[in-house]
Amino acid sequence: MELSDEIRISAPRDVVYRALNDPDILRECIPGCEELIQNSPEDLEAKVVLKIGPVKARFAGEVTLDTSNAPDGFSLSGEGKGGAAGFAKGGAEVTLTEDGAETLLAYTANVSIGGKIAQLGSRLIAGTAKKLSGKFFTRFGEIVSEQSAS
Amino acid sequence: MNDQTLTPEERAASLKGMGSSRKRVEDVRFTQGKGNYVDDIKLDGMLFGDFVRSPYAHARVKSVNKEAALALPGVIAVLTAEDLSPLGLHWMPTLAGDKQMVLADGKVLFQGQEVAYVVAEDRYIAADAVELVEVDYEELPVLTDPFEALKSDVVLREDLEGQTEGAHGPRKHHNHIFTWEQGDKEATEAILAEADVVAEEMVYYHRTHPCPLETCGCVASMDKVTGKLTLYGTFQAPHAIRTVVSLISGIAEHNIRVISPDIGGGFGNKVGAYAGYVCSVVASIVTGQPVKWVEDRMENLMSTAFARDYWMQGKIAATKDGKITGLWCHTTADHGGFDACADPTKFPAGFMNICTGSYDIPTAYLAVDGVYTNKAPGGVAYRCSFRVTEAAYFIERMIEVLAIKLNMDAAELRRINFIKADQFPYQSALGWEYDSGDYHTAWDKALKAVDYEGLRAEQSQRIEDFKAGKTRKLLGIGLTHFTEIVGAGPVKNCDILGLGMFDSCEIRIHPTGSAIARLGTISQGQGHATTFAQIIASEIGLPADDITLEEGDTDTAPYGLGTYGSRSTPVAGAATAMAARKIRAKAQMIAAYLLEVHDNDVEWDVDRFAVKGAPERFKTMKEIAFAAYNQAIPGLEPGLEAVSYYDPPNMTYPFGAYICVMEIDVDTGEWDVRQFYALDDCGTRINPMIIEGQVHGGVTEALAIAMGQEIAYDEMGNVKTATLMDFFIPTAWETPNYTTDHTVTPSPHHPIGAKGVGESPNVGGVPAFSNAVHDAFRPFGLVQSHMPHDHWRIWKIANGLGMHG
Repeated sequence: MELSDEIRISAPRDVVYRALNDPDILRECIPGCEELIQNSPEDLEAKVVLKIGPVKARFAGEVTLDTSNAPDGFSLSGEGKGGAAGFAKGGAEVTLTEDGAETLLAYTANVSIGGKIAQLGSRLIAGTAKKLSGKFFTRFGEIVSEQSAS
Repeated sequence: MNDQTLTPEERAASLKGMGSSRKRVEDVRFTQGKGNYVDDIKLDGMLFGDFVRSPYAHARVKSVNKEAALALPGVIAVLTAEDLSPLGLHWMPTLAGDKQMVLADGKVLFQGQEVAYVVAEDRYIAADAVELVEVDYEELPVLTDPFEALKSDVVLREDLEGQTEGAHGPRKHHNHIFTWEQGDKEATEAILAEADVVAEEMVYYHRTHPCPLETCGCVASMDKVTGKLTLYGTFQAPHAIRTVVSLISGIAEHNIRVISPDIGGGFGNKVGAYAGYVCSVVASIVTGQPVKWVEDRMENLMSTAFARDYWMQGKIAATKDGKITGLWCHTTADHGGFDACADPTKFPAGFMNICTGSYDIPTAYLAVDGVYTNKAPGGVAYRCSFRVTEAAYFIERMIEVLAIKLNMDAAELRRINFIKADQFPYQSALGWEYDSGDYHTAWDKALKAVDYEGLRAEQSQRIEDFKAGKTRKLLGIGLTHFTEIVGAGPVKNCDILGLGMFDSCEIRIHPTGSAIARLGTISQGQGHATTFAQIIASEIGLPADDITLEEGDTDTAPYGLGTYGSRSTPVAGAATAMAARKIRAKAQMIAAYLLEVHDNDVEWDVDRFAVKGAPERFKTMKEIAFAAYNQAIPGLEPGLEAVSYYDPPNMTYPFGAYICVMEIDVDTGEWDVRQFYALDDCGTRINPMIIEGQVHGGVTEALAIAMGQEIAYDEMGNVKTATLMDFFIPTAWETPNYTTDHTVTPSPHHPIGAKGVGESPNVGGVPAFSNAVHDAFRPFGLVQSHMPHDHWRIWKIANGLGMHG
């Protein structure tokens, strides 16, 4: 499954980039995030509670960042395991483009899922993913704009 | 009016014997919600089991951490392969001569495979604990395509590595299970090389699932005081399960009592032995408490036995005027991670060699290669005799493909190739002896009933209208003439795990002239209590309403191989008639004694023995029964009972002609069955109403399979159709009206001439629906398109043929 979107954030690119690498901000923005630990600049570990259709589960995941392209963007790949509920893995390319005082954030993500969430939630997964990423970026936009304004 | 003034016809009618549309006696409890299914069984102190299942289709199981689950209050135990291995129970034998993991032993081979078994005080705690078991998996490459599997370096069954010999001969590759060959390869290839016309096609019969309304389950109860294990379960073959449990567990067979209570549909899904049974038995032995396991719908669809999944490459040779000269078939059979097919031992591809169908094909060759993939094991006969629906679909598609090649009418092509009535008993090129048939009579009756000529004329007009832009709907006429092979079977060539496939019936007549009969089979909705009582009623002249029928308790019923493959009437039904005849033979002696004449001087008359030439002097069966228990008769033991174990001399060969008329919307892919005509010849008809019900149910399942139902996997081995949201079960909304009809060609070797009918409608229905879809698109160039024909796939056919402008 492929997801892509573009979001305009009222903050300069370097602020946006820093925020995207700030575990505290990410923890607050990721829906259902219970835990987010940065083990190294490239490695993150997270626990997230997700509800997809009739399946609700706690996913434990690891995310690896590739920041070699900073601050124009970065890529990430990761895998989350939800026990009986199944698993998800995938990656994303994020690009940040300056547009005056604002930043245009574009991403394309490739996600594959397995187990019960794939069986029960396959018809819901695209909608759920869209809703979750929408929530993430709304909150992210708010925090970053506030920070940038203050 | 007393019974002396009733005519023999009136007396026969009052018995409600064979030929009577007697109402189903089972329905009194079912329609009141008073059935007793496995999940209705509640025993004191009963615990509940539930499985941790693999989300991966192929993975190494690196560790299983039970700690958190065991810490949950109410959790009694969590079993893994490690716990079962000291008992030798972490693997179990399959019905196909392979072995299967009970709980994951180091790796998993399909999504949904059992990894750990949680036992808890209630069902909800068990489900919660399942989520707390932490399993560490390492993903492995997934093989879901059998053709890829045969080329891949990835070894699925590491436990078999290096074994070049399987249960059914040599293995050619580490993912190969067996090759099964029938017929004459050389002669067939020679005919193909020289034939006027050869049509070749790949016919795929997709993977689907029997999906009975009630899923599989059991309650195991070990009584530590008596040492007796009682196992209630959804078993289609309770006696065979008892023997298997005894062999696997080492518990003496007399200390095991297997009970199949009411079963909510089986359709082959409940023939096999599953991990849930083994784990529940172990858990009950260990805890000393009863343990219940009932799978949910998703578990049923993704882990207990699937059906079909046959890739059938076919070549059919004919003269230019349409006489078939040879048939060649190579099948690639996807068996999933373990070979757990439920077939008689000597038939690893079931009776696929009935694939010459209703046609007089002089030379034929069949080869089947079984292959391991990362899919669930199974391969059961879903409302068909062993692989017979695959065979019928194959030949009925090949006939259509040949008709296209010859530019011939498919009804006429069938007619000129049918086995003729005077050729029976008919020896087929692939080794079967067809017992009886009259295909031309059935075919002509069917074509006339639907006005075949009129339908073709209407279709021609429709094609013109479509080309002229006046309509966007096509008309398809789906023809099928199928021949089944059922009633497995003769012990000389049919056994399962060494158990001969005879069946049995025991009848006890009570002093007041009523009776109880017990059989080795078990009804799952077929109505045995209704129909087998009718056989007895006709054979011994007691009213069917006075005969109780009991099945499914191995402590009381005689041994038998169970109900599947339409074998109950051909085998246990024959045993019933034979046991009844033993009773009648003794009754004759009693009657002669009571009438003070010689045994040979009385004759049977519906419900009595009368003195020859003096019909007013008689003893009714009721009077004879009373005398059997209450009168000292010289030379005869008291009592009136008999048992028969029937080993059939041959299979039976029911057949039928089905015609489906379907409207198809080219733009949406939607289909609408306008007419469905089903003519069945199942030999002697015991209960016409039950036959009609069987045909309605079977055609509806055929509709499901042909038009939408499937077990589909994605490339990661995820089951994409594991719920009833995605797995098509027709409701009243999709189910069309059916017209049923019949001819009667009795089986010459069956005591009452009956052949069995439960599965015919599935065997004949699937090609009838599929052929209708193909026929609609035939004028536009379609030759072959794979099932299921859901709206999307039909739309794609139309699109691929350039019909969307």
